[in-house]
Amino acid sequence: MADTGFLPKENLPALLEALSKKFAVFAPVLDGEVVLFKRFAPGATLCLTRPANLPPKGIIFPQSETLFNFNFKKDPEDPKKTSLELKENLDFVPTIIFGSRPCDAQGFRIYDRVYLETDTADPYYKGRREKTTIITLACNAPSPGCFCTSVGRGPAESDGSDLMMTELGKGYFFEPMTEKGKEIFKDSLFEDGSAYKEQAQKAHERVSALVKKPFAILEGTPEKLLSLFENSQFWEGETAKCISCGACTYLCPTCYCFNITDEQVGNSGERIRSWDACMFFHFTLEASSHNPRQNKHQRLKNRVGHKFSYYPKKYQGVIACCGCGRCIRYCPMSVDISEIVAHAQGA
Amino acid sequence: MFIEKLKEAVRKILPEVDVVIGYRQGFDPLHATPYFLDKPEQVDQLIWNPLCVQNLCSYIPFLKGKVGVIVKGCDSRAIVQYMQEKLITRENIKVIGVPCLRVISVKKVMAAINQQTVQEVTFEGDNIIVKIPEGPKTIPSADVAPRKCATCQLATPLQYDVLAGEAIQSNKPQDTFEETKEFEKLSLEERRAYWEKEFDRCIRCYACRNACPMCICQDKCIAESRDPHWTSQRANVTEKAMFHMIHGLHLAGRCISCEECERVCPMDIPVAKIKKKISMDLKELFGYEAGMNPDDTPPMYTFKVEEATIEEHEI
Amino acid sequence: MSSIHNPYLPEIGTVIKIIDETPNIKSFQVVLNNPEKMKNFTFEPGQVGQLSLFGVGESTFVINSPPTRMDYLQFSVMKAGEVTSALHELAEGDQIGVRAPLGNWFPYAQMKGKQILFIGGGIGLAPLRTLILFMLDQRADYGDITIIYGARTPNDLCYKDELKEWEERSDVNMILTVDNEFPGWDKRVGLVPNVLKEVAPSPENTVAITCGPPIMIKFTLQALSELKFKDDQIITTLEKRMKCGIGICGRCNIGTMYVCKDGPVFSLTQLNELPAEL
Ligand code: SF4
Ligand code: SF4
Ligand code: SF4
Ligand code: SF4
Ligand code: FES
Repeated sequence: MADTGFLPKENLPALLEALSKKFAVFAPVLDGEVVLFKRFAPGATLCLTRPANLPPKGIIFPQSETLFNFNFKKDPEDPKKTSLELKENLDFVPTIIFGSRPCDAQGFRIYDRVYLETDTADPYYKGRREKTTIITLACNAPSPGCFCTSVGRGPAESDGSDLMMTELGKGYFFEPMTEKGKEIFKDSLFEDGSAYKEQAQKAHERVSALVKKPFAILEGTPEKLLSLFENSQFWEGETAKCISCGACTYLCPTCYCFNITDEQVGNSGERIRSWDACMFFHFTLEASSHNPRQNKHQRLKNRVGHKFSYYPKKYQGVIACCGCGRCIRYCPMSVDISEIVAHAQGA
Repeated sequence: MFIEKLKEAVRKILPEVDVVIGYRQGFDPLHATPYFLDKPEQVDQLIWNPLCVQNLCSYIPFLKGKVGVIVKGCDSRAIVQYMQEKLITRENIKVIGVPCLRVISVKKVMAAINQQTVQEVTFEGDNIIVKIPEGPKTIPSADVAPRKCATCQLATPLQYDVLAGEAIQSNKPQDTFEETKEFEKLSLEERRAYWEKEFDRCIRCYACRNACPMCICQDKCIAESRDPHWTSQRANVTEKAMFHMIHGLHLAGRCISCEECERVCPMDIPVAKIKKKISMDLKELFGYEAGMNPDDTPPMYTFKVEEATIEEHEI
Repeated sequence: MSSIHNPYLPEIGTVIKIIDETPNIKSFQVVLNNPEKMKNFTFEPGQVGQLSLFGVGESTFVINSPPTRMDYLQFSVMKAGEVTSALHELAEGDQIGVRAPLGNWFPYAQMKGKQILFIGGGIGLAPLRTLILFMLDQRADYGDITIIYGARTPNDLCYKDELKEWEERSDVNMILTVDNEFPGWDKRVGLVPNVLKEVAPSPENTVAITCGPPIMIKFTLQALSELKFKDDQIITTLEKRMKCGIGICGRCNIGTMYVCKDGPVFSLTQLNELPAEL
């Protein structure tokens, strides 16, 4: 079997249909003007011309999921006595994320260090992550706000993806990156791709050069941000226009924070894990009503700090922002994280 | 040039206030971004064009001290409503009014250019010219204006301490809630299906809430609080709808129709439709429109044994 | 079925005893229902646990019984929010969820042979209690033990029976104080940091371990530095709003440190290296 493959565009639906027989396939489709990852169904209109508004993170880390169910059982002999039953929810199905972008796949790499590479791995994330194959489409143009090349990634970055695809005229060039990717790649719909390898390489370089560069180097940025920590004037200035919503965090492929809450009806209920965000006042609000991040500038400082200082300090310099530009593109007030970092570098 | 008049107005106000909120260029030519300035040398960064869409009044209730703010006609209703609800001390706010006939919806432009990267934006007459990689594209501004502009009566702000430029009159037809009435003709099932599909996309980011100039209790919002525990953190349509219904109802008689909620939604959910329906009902029931007259009392703030406009049912 | 450990899944336990410590603090003695798990349960002094009331939620408390007394795990709960209020409604025999142990612990190995100074205020005695009892159970390993403990009023002092016991022991120097004069109170009156200055323990070969309300900590740290304690001789515990307890959910960080996992025990030297966000 060849190392690389080529798939004419008209065969794409057939590929997805074939994959759907074995996997739950999620692909970017148009919903109004919004591109979202949805369960692929034959006839669905794929939208592969731009990154999805919402990254596919929810497929592995759902916006809300049941950690376990609980059930109080009354003892039929002695109704005053109740026993308690817990039932975890750890069944996951083989899944494919089709048409993610390199930044989307990078997002999962940021998660991996926190959710997997620890002595208390997260079984929900792990379960889904291991059963998911990620097929990533290299970008053929940057979108407004993108700056992936400035944070050590790029529009053809393959780390985090199992199978890479590049759009080349009449079809897609495919290159498997992992064993999981090779499995998919075995499908007979693929033609030999070796003739296209160079062309793909050139396309990657061309797009890479188009991505804007808000800052040249990141060296020293984590320390610089830490040194600015107590400079509230700087942070108040940078964040004055922020309205402290959750758009930037919920749309961010690397933001991974969550909340845990219980819901109960009658004798049974569930413990729910749901997305949460350090931009919300409630996030750090303590029962005593003390709040260490009372003001929005402290909260946005945490977001920038987490991505560009704390995470890299913890994980060998890896920046926890993959430069997808979503937080910039969709921020109601056009807050620009790359600009804040650039200002911090120069402060 | 209008921008010079605006800068002049800001320079004049600046010594009297702690901060002025205006607009500067954002991350690309299509995006303006709010600009907080307190030094004269910052004034030259100010911009003004139909892409200056944000309602800058939303910041005011959270700011201390004296604040100058650049305000369009629709935004100015927020100032009036704040006065009604005593959320600001009017003397502490210096309103720099700007006459405005129409802004431009960034979302609509992005849809028109298929979400490509914008290299340059210019305005010519009633057109916006957007340069994208394949070349310049001319779009009539009216085609990409937000819904609210089509029936806007407030070409000149209701409240201002200084007006940059000349007062102008609106040339638009009155809002007769046509769209809302059309929508109401749909059956209950159809409307439910419509909203289920729309709310399904909601990610509960609360941008709509936090951008709303009247959602002033956002840090205590029932959407996140467990005391009272009216919503859960489940991401299903029921919970999302619940949040939006509460959001809408808390704005009954208070929504000033700036439609910021809808503009900011990253999932493109037409949430302003809900508020519009409530505004229509409030107008019919109480003859009231929020944010028009500082001396008004919002109908939900008062109680009358008999409402002049509501027909009593015999019990 | 899951083969890996699920760190979010609590063990079910039974509240075997509830003690009213103060008007708003109760202690709960908990035994895991699975005898095997209870028998094999190990932890270090200072580690915390998440108590679950299913339907209400979880909250974090230090295990304040010592690892040397494993008949039950004790947690002390001050009524403040939704979960703590619900915990106060529990009765003996009720079922409860426990996720423990979590976090780091007091570096007691490095304290061997040293003089130990405990400084606590209000419910801040809870984390100290585990270490005090642990040390008393291995008394010979440590030098002089001084405990300075205060509360607003005598009624607000926790673990009253033990306080009496410790006062009576000749190998513990127990100093109790309340903020203001109180009918029937014949011991010291004054705020903990001031009492600390009066007592003026020597920093020589001493470790100070302090826990209490933020304002007390602030002035206690000042007093300790006036008494010439060095930062690495001072140990404290931090509190933050927590959810996961395992360094993932993101809410309890101070810069790079997650209080739930890297804490709650920090030396002042470590704290000084962290950004100021308490
Ligand atoms: S930066 Fe933008 S998206 Fe993020 S919280 Fe602030 S206003 Fe919302
Ligand atoms: S911080 Fe912004 S640019 Fe960076 S990965 Fe997240 S959404 Fe993308
Ligand atoms: S930036 Fe904030 S919400 Fe995002 S992962 Fe970091 S701490 Fe969590
Ligand atoms: S802004 Fe949109 S996605 Fe966010 S909460 Fe509001 S409706 Fe939902
Ligand atoms: S409580 Fe979740 S990270 Fe600390």
